[in-house]
Amino acid sequence: MKLAVVVQRYGADVSGGAELHARYIAERFAHHAEVEVLTSCARDYVTWNNELPPGEEIVNRVKVRRFPVARPRNTREFGRRSQHVFNEAHSLADELRWLESEGPASPALIQYIRRSRGEFDFFLFFSARYYPSWHGARAVPEKAILVPTAERDPAVGLSIFGPLFRGARAVMYNSLEERAMIESVSQRKGPGVVVGVGSAIPDRTQPWRFKKKFNVKGPFAIYIGRLDENKGCKELFTYFQSYATLYPRGLDLILVGSKHIDVPAHPRIRHLGFLTDEDKFDGLAASDVLIMPSPYESLSMVTLEAWALGKPVLTNGRCDVLRGQSMRSNAGLYYDTVEEFAEALFSLEASGPLGAILGRNGHEYFKRHYTWPVIERKYQDMFLQLKSQPAPPAIEPLPGWFARRRRNLPPAREVLAGVPAGPVKR
Amino acid sequence: MSEFSVRSDSVDVEQIMRQIRGRIREKRGVDYTEAEIEKLASVKLEKFLDPRGIRSDLVQQFRARLASDQSQDEFTEAMLYETHRPALKKLRRMLNPILKLFINPAAVSGAIQSQSRRQSDVLFYEVVHNLVVEVTRLGIEVHNLKMRVESMSSRLDFDERRARAFEGSVSRPQRLDRRPAASAGATGPAGSTGSQPDGQVSYGSVQRPPEAAAPVAAGGRDQNQGGQARPEGGGPNGGNRDGGRRRRRRRRRRPGDSQGSAGLTGSTGSTGSAGSTSSEGSEGSERSSHEPDGDGGDDQ
Repeated sequence: MKLAVVVQRYGADVSGGAELHARYIAERFAHHAEVEVLTSCARDYVTWNNELPPGEEIVNRVKVRRFPVARPRNTREFGRRSQHVFNEAHSLADELRWLESEGPASPALIQYIRRSRGEFDFFLFFSARYYPSWHGARAVPEKAILVPTAERDPAVGLSIFGPLFRGARAVMYNSLEERAMIESVSQRKGPGVVVGVGSAIPDRTQPWRFKKKFNVKGPFAIYIGRLDENKGCKELFTYFQSYATLYPRGLDLILVGSKHIDVPAHPRIRHLGFLTDEDKFDGLAASDVLIMPSPYESLSMVTLEAWALGKPVLTNGRCDVLRGQSMRSNAGLYYDTVEEFAEALFSLEASGPLGAILGRNGHEYFKRHYTWPVIERKYQDMFLQLKSQPAPPAIEPLPGWFARRRRNLPPAREVLAGVPAGPVKR
Repeated sequence: MSEFSVRSDSVDVEQIMRQIRGRIREKRGVDYTEAEIEKLASVKLEKFLDPRGIRSDLVQQFRARLASDQSQDEFTEAMLYETHRPALKKLRRMLNPILKLFINPAAVSGAIQSQSRRQSDVLFYEVVHNLVVEVTRLGIEVHNLKMRVESMSSRLDFDERRARAFEGSVSRPQRLDRRPAASAGATGPAGSTGSQPDGQVSYGSVQRPPEAAAPVAAGGRDQNQGGQARPEGGGPNGGNRDGGRRRRRRRRRRPGDSQGSAGLTGSTGSTGSAGSTSSEGSEGSERSSHEPDGDGGDDQ
């Protein structure tokens, strides 16, 4: 079997969630099938500048083919178009221009997909909202398997994505919540399965080594990820300072990841910067609890990693996916207010048995749903199912020139507001 | 946390969250929404917590006002005609009906009285205002102190359980060390010596609590069993029942004694620490089972 993995960025040092997801899948399936990654030359997801050379490259034994981005992103234009399509009545042409401005626009990549459609059995498209997935899946709908990695953000409410979700051969969801949202917004009926992604969990971790290396004393909670306002970090800082006031001898907070906002100078908050995987896992093993403050996640890999290591998590209750996973796994607490944050964190640090039991539930949950054999089995079952079924008709074509310019589409936010929210309990 | 009832491994996160919300409700009295709290806070701040309204010379002003009020409180219509000259007073009374044709002296006196009362009210309002400010401050302080006390008691509870867990884990190696000496010096009975050629095997015998605990608790049923069980707490006088009882009594009186504590933990578990120790022990084992390197101790 020959598989193509299409993703907006790719590289051993590219750490975005969907990109890492794509890399893990490509590297795992490279053991069973011939895998080729089709991606852009961009490394930065904000500008999409062509930083990597076009052409072929081998990354961790996987063949990667890069294509140049036609134009970097104009952030001002993208912001303006986003405001328009998310908040105002607009036309289909507006949405297409929004997609173009979001990028990474690489017509060469789409041409290659169209040209080589016969060479591959299936194309796995990661992140539905980006140019390569949208145009690529429309180019080869009969072989398109979509991994949407869709969060509950207004982009899902854009009408251009409805036909894409409906027309893809199969959809590999990250969570039950994502599935419910996509099926509600697009009325999709085709094959789909909730898969998620595994992680490269080390066989052994050395928590004491982490504590010694970074001179960490006492129990602590850890946050791993980009320190960004969109990831809920600003709220985390505010909430943690309240917690620190209420519980002067409670947990410290260790932050791991690249910094995009200022970290408050607080004696109990420490930022360690970007760490290697070894340090990251050792830190996670040394921590008492992982905090995941992001309100928008389709799947939090670091949450799964914490569960894999038997650590409880404290998640933002406004994120349906994390809240749903915490409830289904019985492996984490969640918060909506600062008081709930403080109380939940206190309960996780102070009542040892609770944290341990939640951690063990998380470990069981990870083993049951997110170990690599489980993930690979689900993908392979889907491939077999699709091979045994005839291909459905192609994705609905775009309407004509005049229809595309008719301003009859509601704001994406309104559409999303009509989609049922909340965690899926079972 | 002491208020969480985690009795078994099958926890329900939703139930825990309900407990957490219940605790929050208890702390703040009513379950207000964030918007309601903000509204309440702003109203309070506007009405009561205005520092400009607090005057340092309030007491002096209040006293002065009170003194003048006392004189004004007695003001009546008759006071309009008061004088120290009796003849003039008589004349005024006689002309009073004529005066009443032109003005209403009762209204004048009433107005003066109410004005005086209003001035007092302002001062009373200030006093009440200051009281509210102080009560609010004290309320916040009490709330914070309550939370701190609660936090400290929970931490103390946790530390106690942790300390007992550590004691339990320390007492086992002690028993391991004591076993060969005890078995060699005290009993040396054929059965025990033959079946326990080294310290490891004798430690293994501690891992059967029903048999090991029963003879000691019962004061020893026979020599051989007593000989096996005593090394944990009995020592060289393994065969002496009365001596054994005396030792147990002494140990109970002095729980800080390391020998006694080792014996008690292993033999009876009646001190109340055994339950805690076992629960902590299970925690420790859960933690270490989750961590691939089994370094659960570091996490605590």
